[in-house]
Amino acid sequence: MKKSNFLILLTLLATMGLSAQTALNGTVSGADGQPIPGANVLVQNTNSGTTTDFDGKFSIAVSSGDVVVVSYLGFATQSITITNQTALDVVLQASSSELDEVVVVGYGSLKKSDLTGSVSSVKSKELNAFPVLDAGQALQGRAAGVVVQSNNGGEPGAPISIQIRGNTSINASSSPLIVVDGFVGAAMPQPNDIQSIEILKDASATAIYGSRGSNGVVMVTTKKGSAGKLTVEVNSNYSFQSTANELDLLNASEFASYQQLINPSYTKGAADTDWQDLLYQSGNTQNHQFSFSGGSDDVNFYTSANYFNQEGVVLNSGFERVSFLSNLDAQVSDKIKLGVNLFGSRGSKDGVPTQSTGRTANGGGDDVISLMFRFSPDLGVLDANGQNTVNNVGDDVDNPYAIATEAVNETKTDKFRANLYANYDILENLTFKTTFGVSTNNQTYGLFRPSSLITTAGGNTGGRAIIENAKRTTVLSESYLTYNHELDNANLTVLAGHSYQKNTTQRFSAGAQGFTSDSFSYHNLSGGAVQLIPTSSLTESEIESLFGRVNFDYDDKYLLTATVRRDGASNFAINEKYAIFPSGAFGWKLSNEDFLNDNETISNLKLRASYGVTGNQAISPYQSLARFDNIYAVLNGQTVSAVTPDQAANPNLKWESSYQTNVGVDLGLYDGKISVSLDYYNINTKDLIIGDSSQPEYFGFLTPASLKNVGEVSNSGFELNISTLNISNDKLTWTTDFNLSANKNEFVTLLDGEDILLDASPGYFNIDNTHVLREGESVGSFWGYDYVGVYQGGSLPAGTALLPGAAAGDQLFTDVDGNGEISPADKMIIGDPNPDFTFGITNNFTYKNFDLNIFLQGSQGGQVMNLTNVQLYNGDSNTVRDNLNAWTPSNTNTDIPRVKLRGKEISSRFVEDGSYVRLKNIAIGYNFTSDITEKLGVDSLRVSLSAQNLLTFTNYSGLDPEVNYFGSGGGSSASGNTTNGFDFGNYPTIQSVNFAVNVRF
Amino acid sequence: MKAYKYLFILVGLSIFGCSDLEEEPVGLLAPEGFFKSPKDIQTAVNAAYGHMTHEDFWGRKMSLTLMLRGDMVGIGDPTTSTRRIEHDDFNVPTDNGMISGYWNRVYQIIAAANQAIAGAEQVSAADEIKNPIVAQAYFVRAFAYFHLVRQFGDIPYIDAPISDAAAAASITKTATAKVYENIISDLKYAKTWLPNTQASRTIPAKSAAHSYLALVYLTMGDYQKAYDEAKGVIDNESVYQLGLEADYQDLFDATKIDGSNEPIFALDFNGFRSGDAGQDYQAALTGIRGDEQYGIGGGWSVAVPSLEVFNTWDDQDYRKSVSLDVTGVFKGNVEPYTVFKNFHSRAVNRPHIAKYTRHPGVTANGNGRASQHNHAMMRYAEVLLIAAEALNEVSPGSAEAHGYVNRVRSRARNGGTFPADVSGLSQNDFRTLVLEDRKWELAFEFKRWYDIVRRKMGAEVFSASGLEGAKPNFDPNQDYLLPLPADELARNPNLLPNNPGY
Repeated sequence: MKKSNFLILLTLLATMGLSAQTALNGTVSGADGQPIPGANVLVQNTNSGTTTDFDGKFSIAVSSGDVVVVSYLGFATQSITITNQTALDVVLQASSSELDEVVVVGYGSLKKSDLTGSVSSVKSKELNAFPVLDAGQALQGRAAGVVVQSNNGGEPGAPISIQIRGNTSINASSSPLIVVDGFVGAAMPQPNDIQSIEILKDASATAIYGSRGSNGVVMVTTKKGSAGKLTVEVNSNYSFQSTANELDLLNASEFASYQQLINPSYTKGAADTDWQDLLYQSGNTQNHQFSFSGGSDDVNFYTSANYFNQEGVVLNSGFERVSFLSNLDAQVSDKIKLGVNLFGSRGSKDGVPTQSTGRTANGGGDDVISLMFRFSPDLGVLDANGQNTVNNVGDDVDNPYAIATEAVNETKTDKFRANLYANYDILENLTFKTTFGVSTNNQTYGLFRPSSLITTAGGNTGGRAIIENAKRTTVLSESYLTYNHELDNANLTVLAGHSYQKNTTQRFSAGAQGFTSDSFSYHNLSGGAVQLIPTSSLTESEIESLFGRVNFDYDDKYLLTATVRRDGASNFAINEKYAIFPSGAFGWKLSNEDFLNDNETISNLKLRASYGVTGNQAISPYQSLARFDNIYAVLNGQTVSAVTPDQAANPNLKWESSYQTNVGVDLGLYDGKISVSLDYYNINTKDLIIGDSSQPEYFGFLTPASLKNVGEVSNSGFELNISTLNISNDKLTWTTDFNLSANKNEFVTLLDGEDILLDASPGYFNIDNTHVLREGESVGSFWGYDYVGVYQGGSLPAGTALLPGAAAGDQLFTDVDGNGEISPADKMIIGDPNPDFTFGITNNFTYKNFDLNIFLQGSQGGQVMNLTNVQLYNGDSNTVRDNLNAWTPSNTNTDIPRVKLRGKEISSRFVEDGSYVRLKNIAIGYNFTSDITEKLGVDSLRVSLSAQNLLTFTNYSGLDPEVNYFGSGGGSSASGNTTNGFDFGNYPTIQSVNFAVNVRF
Repeated sequence: MKAYKYLFILVGLSIFGCSDLEEEPVGLLAPEGFFKSPKDIQTAVNAAYGHMTHEDFWGRKMSLTLMLRGDMVGIGDPTTSTRRIEHDDFNVPTDNGMISGYWNRVYQIIAAANQAIAGAEQVSAADEIKNPIVAQAYFVRAFAYFHLVRQFGDIPYIDAPISDAAAAASITKTATAKVYENIISDLKYAKTWLPNTQASRTIPAKSAAHSYLALVYLTMGDYQKAYDEAKGVIDNESVYQLGLEADYQDLFDATKIDGSNEPIFALDFNGFRSGDAGQDYQAALTGIRGDEQYGIGGGWSVAVPSLEVFNTWDDQDYRKSVSLDVTGVFKGNVEPYTVFKNFHSRAVNRPHIAKYTRHPGVTANGNGRASQHNHAMMRYAEVLLIAAEALNEVSPGSAEAHGYVNRVRSRARNGGTFPADVSGLSQNDFRTLVLEDRKWELAFEFKRWYDIVRRKMGAEVFSASGLEGAKPNFDPNQDYLLPLPADELARNPNLLPNNPGY
């Protein structure tokens, strides 16, 4: 035993250099003597590194001769060669140069100045400028090329969608890969626990993630402890929230007169209800975080607990979450470091139904938000018999108050992640790292509709309850070697590794109806007289990969990066299991050339160029196999098992591939006081997977369209980042960060050049199409009739026509096919939801102990389809006050057609400019001076007051131009990728005022 | 020792996972090896019944299309979707959303049947055991093609699972006569092998194949064979356990229909649904907007009989009171149909169909959706009327033919005196009488459009004197057939041209 053990050691360590490591302890502070927490401390040319704790302290193992590099945002980086010292106090000088910062990239880290790819960094301070539930939200407006959107306005607990450099797919996800502390595909940790986020955008940076790199990669690094005394930190904040906006709707008597124009026999109801007033409330959010960190020379830790609670601005909506994070690192021998990252959370969402698909219930009848607008104001909550009222115009729908207070919609999500790692310094310049991790996401959804809801629970069905569970488990094992070789004036780093990941998803659902009591909620399915069909499924997928990277830098002038990953994935068809994703990049530090070396204006100039291929796993498991599927069937009163042909096999289905070119320039002026970064990119995504609708439907498959790799979409654009240090003196500093991105996307090829028409409208609209995918046009262009104006009677203006049965005062549309009447053949592209550019501007001021942050964010040129107005101008509901200016024979100078019941046609009448500029955050903070903190016995104390979404400048007539109806992919034929810019029943965007306290002791 | 420990950690963490990346789905169904026992054949046939009760087919889209094209029912709510109005107005474009909505579904019924028939060949069981199950597949395939051929004429005809997609994607249409030949052949197989009775009328028995043969021949105008088959059913009345339900109302009572001997083949809705699968919309489509009388939240007033149906239907006919609702309940008060619109802007002031709203059983969804009705595709009264109509063409003036009609009329009287027995009618008068009796007996049961087509009555029933008044768009050279969906013709241009006029 001992012998073999020794042999293995020998083999492994044969060429190992013998230089003993010692612990180096120190502090990092600014010129003012204040400690700098979160500064990066790295041993040059190794994987070894740490960050300073809250007191600016660090501990790191070094050998004599090592060069320790200390860096922090806004400060000049220092490199110190270690001789024999065991303590090191570093004083950093303020600088606006970000070049010396260390950024995390896939399977390693790099100095920002050595980057050849396009990478944006967002630091802890920006992530925590104002309270957000999901760290993804904090990225909005912070990095060029990154678009962040809530899938449902200000809904507590609503999912966030992040998109980097545009839509690259139709059917696959356009969301980036999220990597947390090396765990691929992890859930975002809580913002207070995050040290930094790096966004990898071009192929040079993302190709190391191969078949999952197409949509960009978000690298998240959580906080670590470091040697020194125990630091305890408490972050606590509380926000008051309200809706940013309400619609101006008719009151009861106005409504009755309006309805009498449509139906002269309409009699006004007795009530006068302002449904918006009834359902909106003032909400609040509280977030409390408690963390402690510290360590000894060999072991350090960071642990935090967080409680988040939001009471929504819509009655009975809320979200509550408890989460934990723990990072532990131990230097168990000179060569070996072990560690574990643990994360756990429980989220509880108490939802009110919003963004209804309009399919599952009567007339979109369970959507609280759109019902607030639609529901007759002359009805009360209860009728004369004490029952919930049902609408008296339009579809029979329950009133929104009844739904908000009686319908149950609960989602409980438990997340857990553990990732163990071992790092072994085989040689001084050769390191082996291996990680093993498991993550689970266990989500339970409960729905209950009591019998008191007349239409949504199905009248005489006696209530309906459903419970669904989905449990996703991911196992990840990765190992890689990093080798560094230093020559006289060149440096070579080589990385090679293996990765295996397995995802398992298990689902079940069950339901019942016909309950004897409304008190069971969804917790007693056996109490239902009628059991619904239970379902269950198991889905497994695996990815196995080899990857490698070479970084070569010559004379600190010429940088070369080459990356390759070979992925094999079980999802893919039998003939296309494996693919290779290569990339290459070149960087030239012009400012280090002799002719610029001494230039006083230009302190940094670097050119970057990269090209590479990344992939997108556009299909779910088993989609390439021939399949039968179960369907619902009844014989002799009993549900029976029934199996029908679902799809034919497709042995050649493979990933979508993005071919990306990126060129960029980084420029620093006046010793880094001004730094500018400009990137141009072009991404051609080929082999887009599209349902092949050219297969005849008489084949009789349950899934009529089989999947094929046929399409191509291109995205190209510019990204500009400018950071300036405007003023910097003893008392006052002022910095500005500006970013702007412009993306243009266009379908290059679709199947046989055919348009793909999609529908994002609520099912009860009975509209076939709202948007189109067409060659040469951008993704998700709006589709409908081109509205010309109100028909004044008499002869039709040239090139226009009317819908059948229309008269004076009705809508006049462009007669595209020129046949004299409006029919579906007259539909055309009527708008484009994609903005021309988006931008963010942050100004930070510090004056003595005060600081002020002003963050503006905006979007220009994107259009919004106001589906809410399609409903509200249709005559079968309440309406907006603007409709009082509708056409009448005596009021002809108007753009609003006469009042009548009409179909819910999609037309350019409802397409609006969605451009906006928003004061996303304004915050003022105060750091108590040391004489006060010392009296209080704390290390530091900070208070701040901030306001979010205080001002929005827009011409959009709806509640808010940041819309995302069906962004979660719930629509009839629409997916989140291709459906943008639709407004219907969104949970309203909220304004909040926030007070925060941060104490460290 | 210590180093070994660390090495163990390193190796233990790193050596995990090596895979051939083969997919081995659990809980999913692969075609290979599915068919092992006769039970598996039944499971495949069951899918055909499942498709039939989908919203696309009998739940709403196809059944509503048939109802609106007839001369008795028109659009109530004027804001209902255009694709429905187009059928009522005979202004059907080739991309009509109703047709494209159910076209695929009918072929899914056929694909399920084809899969069952092909799969049966892999099952090693005696013919006596497996053929009665396979016969169900032959029956449902004939049933589906019979709907298609009556609606579209020449159609793509598929009688096996798709194995060569390229070849199947370029086939041409099969002529109407050939489709009928195949339907008859399938029904004959079914008639041979199906048992005389089944556990439920929702599973086709020999009586179903037998009766459908009669209707197919009647539709083809082969009256001798139509009579022979119908007579065959009548002669086997006791063997097949058939009879007329005593109370006409009970045929439309979801709580009573299971025990009735009158249905011959019915689609089973059981008050459950899975999305739109198994969801019956008839009560919602035909019910009165805002009406409180059945506690289902009212209907949608989409498909509402013309006022002339009410005016011309003799008040003494018990079936009229079963078939129509002339009052609703609003705000707790009983109100006549003349004021329905006062209580809901999308209601209409006409009597509404009552067959589906009055006794839908427990419904899974609002407005009476997802009812427990068993919708009869064929019931014994129709077999009697087929026999009468066919016999009148072969040998006019027979007492036997009069007797069949009188049997149906007798039940309709429900103890009263109307409609009276008939006797001694001429061939022409008897023909007119049978078609009128079919109209009232089978009112709103989706039969009328097919009667109008096979008897070419359009010019008459869609004229100004028709129940719905003049339908100026009706063109007898075009509208007896529906257009094949335009996108299907684009997928396979060999199916061109479309039907005349489209």
